[in-house]
Amino acid sequence: MPAPAIELRGLGKVYDGTVALAQVDHTFEAGRVHALMGKNGSGKSTLVKILAGAVSPTVGEVLVRGERVRFDSPRDAFAAGIITVHQELSLVPSLTVGENIYLGRLPRSRRLGASIVDWDRVHRDAAALLADMAPHIDPRAPAGSLSIGQQQIVEIVKAMSFNPAILLLDEPTSALATREVEQLFELIRRLRARGITMIYITHRMNELFAIADSCTVLRDGRLIGTVAMADTSTDAIVEMMFGDIARAERPARRRIERTGPILAVSGLTRQGAFSDVSFDLHRGEILGIAGLLGAGRTELLRAVFGADPFESGTIHFGGRAMDRPAPRTMKRAGLGYTPENRKEVGLVQILSIHDNLCMASNGMGLTTRAREAPRVARQIRDLAIKLANPMQPVSSLSGGNQQKVVIGNWLNTAPKVMFLDEPTRGIDVQAKQQIFEIMWRQAEAGLAVVFVSSELEELLEVTDRILVMHHGRLVGEVNPAATRLSELYSLCMEGAR
Amino acid sequence: MTHADAAVKPAAAGLGGRLIGLLAMEAILLALVVVLVFTAPGFATLGNLLNVLRTVSMLGIIAFGMTAVIIAGEIDLSVGAGAALAGCIVAWFAGAWSDTIGSGPAILIGFVAALLAGAASGVVSGKVRQWFNVPTFITTLAMFTALRGAANLITGGFPLATFPDWFFFFGAGALFGIPFPVYVFAGIFLAMHFLMKYTGFGRAVYAVGGNAEAARLSGIDVYGVKTMTLAITGMLTAVTGTLLASQIGSGVGTTATGMELDVIAATIIGGTSLFGGKGRIWGTLLGVIFLGCISNGMTLLNVSEYWQLVARGAIILGAVLLNQLLERIR
Repeated sequence: MPAPAIELRGLGKVYDGTVALAQVDHTFEAGRVHALMGKNGSGKSTLVKILAGAVSPTVGEVLVRGERVRFDSPRDAFAAGIITVHQELSLVPSLTVGENIYLGRLPRSRRLGASIVDWDRVHRDAAALLADMAPHIDPRAPAGSLSIGQQQIVEIVKAMSFNPAILLLDEPTSALATREVEQLFELIRRLRARGITMIYITHRMNELFAIADSCTVLRDGRLIGTVAMADTSTDAIVEMMFGDIARAERPARRRIERTGPILAVSGLTRQGAFSDVSFDLHRGEILGIAGLLGAGRTELLRAVFGADPFESGTIHFGGRAMDRPAPRTMKRAGLGYTPENRKEVGLVQILSIHDNLCMASNGMGLTTRAREAPRVARQIRDLAIKLANPMQPVSSLSGGNQQKVVIGNWLNTAPKVMFLDEPTRGIDVQAKQQIFEIMWRQAEAGLAVVFVSSELEELLEVTDRILVMHHGRLVGEVNPAATRLSELYSLCMEGAR
Repeated sequence: MTHADAAVKPAAAGLGGRLIGLLAMEAILLALVVVLVFTAPGFATLGNLLNVLRTVSMLGIIAFGMTAVIIAGEIDLSVGAGAALAGCIVAWFAGAWSDTIGSGPAILIGFVAALLAGAASGVVSGKVRQWFNVPTFITTLAMFTALRGAANLITGGFPLATFPDWFFFFGAGALFGIPFPVYVFAGIFLAMHFLMKYTGFGRAVYAVGGNAEAARLSGIDVYGVKTMTLAITGMLTAVTGTLLASQIGSGVGTTATGMELDVIAATIIGGTSLFGGKGRIWGTLLGVIFLGCISNGMTLLNVSEYWQLVARGAIILGAVLLNQLLERIR
């Protein structure tokens, strides 16, 4: 039996006193496809980062093909024959496939005493690589002209041009359509036949059975176990991922006014994003939308808010048909939207907390800081925003407090409906709890909330009702009080119970 | 920059450091004036100072609009040509309609037409930005050429000296001893300061320039706001163009050549960021006066015109570097 591709011995990582990965011992055998599973915060990404050389372990050691290695940078991992293909594509769209593959190391030739790029060789070498792995891709085509799936394949071909022994594939299918996934799997099988070891990270359970040989599950930084795909089932893996969880405490049920919905969406469709989505939202209700990344949750919310277009379907707000919604008109009607990426588009980072809190509620007319002050003070008090002075730049706040500013900006418009898109992403536990309490309190006062989160526990804890999206479609509605986390997770992953 | 850094910095710099940071431009301008008073012969005379004020008023009126445009994250390169066109429009009306309706109404109609043309050119730049996603740098560069051409088409390439004597008052005359353009300059300063600081529109300009997508998702009409700043600048350009025509006494297609660069320079010296979202009308006022004093001082000191250009370039670059340095202290 050959030496294992990677061996982990007592590997651990501590960030600021938080244990992200605890004493993991594991062996990844060579020439196989190993799936790595675990929910957010399980330590899965920490392990991948260590193997990619992006972070150093606090304790323990890594052996690659029997030899102890120490990665201080991605370059070291590279030298040891480990290459990571990241989820985000890194191709330059305007350059050809060939140039992308050899970017930064284009072959040169000497002509008339000068070193110039040898384009013939670039495209010949690229063609040779592609012929082997993806014969349908033209090395002279601009990368931007390829489909996302083909670009993902080019990323892998590029990685293979370094002749690695081990590939880390970080959610390679998250942006791909079904047919493209099959092409990608084709390539992965071909690489496996050539003896390449792959560590495959995904959230899509059904892919595991199609492509992986074994599945390793992490939970709360610990290795729970490894199973061969041949002897396991979806349920068994989900059980390993979630274990027994104590259900968080829910506040006493509130009254939800079922007399006619405040928001009614019917048959909403945009090709490639979501199709035929219908749902009602009632006053005082907290409606969760669950689904994997790329399921179309954000796209749906943005379309209803008018930030992006849709092709067909209707939206009724407060009984009124909204023909061509735009953020401005929806705001006037009483809808607020806090975007998922608050840092980039939720706030104007160079402006003060004060100005960010008044951004949505200021009209175009006269206003003074003094006249705005009560609005600012109310949100700071109600949302418990921790700050020294409201005139300090909003960028000086922590993530949780920034998120509160985004929410406060909208609460100042006295909305009837709020869409909160991943409001708890990247904020600490205490701030999360505060955001939940804000939602409960506002719902109690009659606000209707749509809450999108990738943390299914949160949805179960906070909402009154959960819609599940899968590949752009609503595939189910569950009652959080009567649903187990593993059930919800399976529904999100497979689109059916 | 980490969050912790930003939170700690103001405290670390101390009150004195922050005061220097906030009043740096004021202090530098004051120092410049003091130096010029003692070194430049004739600088400190009333006549000279009023002359400086008259000169800076012309470009300052436009610079206040330009400040809003740049804070909104756009630029307008067409203001010099726009000013020339406005002057020629007024002169054309004065020449063509004075005989029938009298010189007063003819000039008034000409002025209104110039304002409308200025606003329209701003709206066109804004809408081309919105509909075709063409940067205003490009559109207004095209305007820069086209408006200059239009101005010369109106005049046929020769000065249009069609104005009655009383019209000279606006550009060249004085009221209570102070040149008339200075009143306009002061009035527009106050109006723009108010607009940018005390209206929702002004706040929206900062938000749009600071982060257009965040502003849009807050329900702000991003392109409406940008277009409005360009339209305001177009109208202010028409005001300056009319005052210049009055000062020269004719509509000339080649007036205000290169003025756009001085206007932008004054705005930047005043601390407005070309990245958008940051700047003050007060800063632009200081920048305009600073630039005027430097030019005047160097002329009085007999510095050759070529050296003046070199110095001006150095000052613009120095001001930007200084503002970045101050940003770290604040």
